[in-house]
Amino acid sequence: MTALELSHVTKSFGTGHTKVSALKETNFQADRGELIAIIGPSGSGKSTFLTIAGGLLTPSTGDVIINNQKLTPLNEKKRSKIRLQEIGFILQASNLIPFLTVDKQMKLLDKVKKGNMTKGELEQLYHDLGIEELRNKYPADLSGGQRQRVAIAKALYSNPSIILADEPTASLDSNRAFEVMELLKNETKNKNTTTIVVTHDTRLISYFDKVYKMTDGVLALESNVNATGTM
Amino acid sequence: MFLAWNEIKKNKLRFTLIMGVLMLISYLVFFLSGLATGLANLNRESVDKWDATGIVLTEESDKSLLQSSLTLDDVESVEAEETAVISQMNAIASNGDTKKNVAIFGIREDEFIMPNVTEGKAFSKRNEVIASDSLKEEGFQIGDELDLSSTEETVTIVGFTDEGRFNAAPVLYGELSTFHKVKYGEAAEMNKDQINGIVVRADDVSILTKDDKLEAIEIETFIENLPGYTEQNLTLNFMIYFLCIISAVIVAIFLYVLTVQKISMFGVMKAQGISNGYLSRSVVAQTFILAAIGVCVGFLLTLISGAFLPSAVPVSFDIVTMIVYGILLIVVAVLGALFSVRTIVKIDPLKAIGG
Ligand SMILES: Nc1ncnc2c1ncn2[C@@H]1O[C@H](COP(=O)(O)OP(=O)(O)OP(=O)(O)O)[C@@H](O)[C@H]1O
Ligand SMILES: [Mg+2]
Repeated sequence: MTALELSHVTKSFGTGHTKVSALKETNFQADRGELIAIIGPSGSGKSTFLTIAGGLLTPSTGDVIINNQKLTPLNEKKRSKIRLQEIGFILQASNLIPFLTVDKQMKLLDKVKKGNMTKGELEQLYHDLGIEELRNKYPADLSGGQRQRVAIAKALYSNPSIILADEPTASLDSNRAFEVMELLKNETKNKNTTTIVVTHDTRLISYFDKVYKMTDGVLALESNVNATGTM
Repeated sequence: MFLAWNEIKKNKLRFTLIMGVLMLISYLVFFLSGLATGLANLNRESVDKWDATGIVLTEESDKSLLQSSLTLDDVESVEAEETAVISQMNAIASNGDTKKNVAIFGIREDEFIMPNVTEGKAFSKRNEVIASDSLKEEGFQIGDELDLSSTEETVTIVGFTDEGRFNAAPVLYGELSTFHKVKYGEAAEMNKDQINGIVVRADDVSILTKDDKLEAIEIETFIENLPGYTEQNLTLNFMIYFLCIISAVIVAIFLYVLTVQKISMFGVMKAQGISNGYLSRSVVAQTFILAAIGVCVGFLLTLISGAFLPSAVPVSFDIVTMIVYGILLIVVAVLGALFSVRTIVKIDPLKAIGG
């Protein structure tokens, strides 16, 4: 079942001779239970793709369809609601609230939406990410990698149907990176959700069902485990 | 409330400062309102004590008791349930040690404006007076024989009454005959029918008299026309309203700066899908918390410092007025916060997080 679809999507920034075509015409589909990687050089349009897919950025042309709902005709209020209910963002920049402790970052989500993880599931999540000890700390008192793991916890806590992660393992050592990938894979398979991860880290490729490569705004399927069985 | 309160807890210094500013402003507002009430009382307390609904003066006096001149016969033409005649003059009273500007009221003992006696006894003979107890603080006592300016007559204090000031001057209440003697000296007998006004209790003041020469006015109108009363009230109220506007502006600026600092944080939450409504409510709630605490502390400080003030300072706190001003301050602070709400709504989540 298709969870996320981009049809004939393009995105350009600026006008005239300063015009940058960040995303050339893109058609893309992701099914439930799929773990997808997007690789490619810096500045090729990976983040642009991800933010359009998550309804944060409006495409110049084309449609984004999340769980059978077209995003493009919706106003910001409705899109914001879809983001809240359906999507878990793990952004490249830090996305923690500075005056809330780790526990309260999660609690904020309880205030604004239902259907989040239970207490037990959250404990397990903390454990898997190795952040049980950090629950009462403020983001400023965490290391970069710890912050990143909290951000992952925050994205998963809301039980989203689509997880969009931009370089989630960038500041983690390889052991941690493998653990995080293991976690994302389990979440995707157990809860039958869709996860798209932008990454530079080629060691992680083996975790993914599909790998896409972005080059100068053109997205191309690089490998498909289901089709070929191997990498 | 969740965001608002957690942020305050984390950034105590920052929010204590804002609260401190609100506290100082509310302190000043409460104090000015106390001063306004105090000064107003100074002018009107003896009139309020009459518990009258209106007063009849001559039309040409232009609502001034001192300038109005009637005779006792005019009382007949006034159709009110209750009437009380009054004569008034101003004088300097001296007990030998202290001189004091006073107002002298000539009244009839059996009419309703006769003051209650809180100490001593009522006047019963010519030249006996009941004095406002504010004179007590100036060193005047029962039994004092007072020299009055512009007359040979002396009067004797036989009792005190509370709340007896008229247009800021303490009142000496005496019989009409005492008043006439003091005012007209040798000619007292000739002027024994002269009075300044007729105080009335009636349901409808406007239909009291058909006499063209006379004018019946509401007691509140009479008070507003006391010399300087309205001007003074307007000045103080203007200052209070201006302070409210200033506090709205200060809160608006403070919160705006804080909001601008937090743009990327708001962006993160908006990217996550948290609605403008939730974020805006949180800023408004935060302002409400700060303003409410600031105003309450200001309120307490006002009452505490009011208790230590020397009685010469004409401050009197009317709790109801203070509560109204307190609520007004909280409301304008929240209005100041709405300015930041606009900023939050306009934040583009993607730009804000620099993604
Ligand atoms: N808001 C913007 N305005 C103008 N140009 C932009 C904007 N955002 C991105 N671009 C341009 O679009 C192109 C794609 O940017 P994007 O952020 O998607 O790259 P990326 O693949 O995520 O790179 P990286 O791996 O470094 O994160 C870049 O050339 C960038 O300069
Ligand atoms: Mg990027």
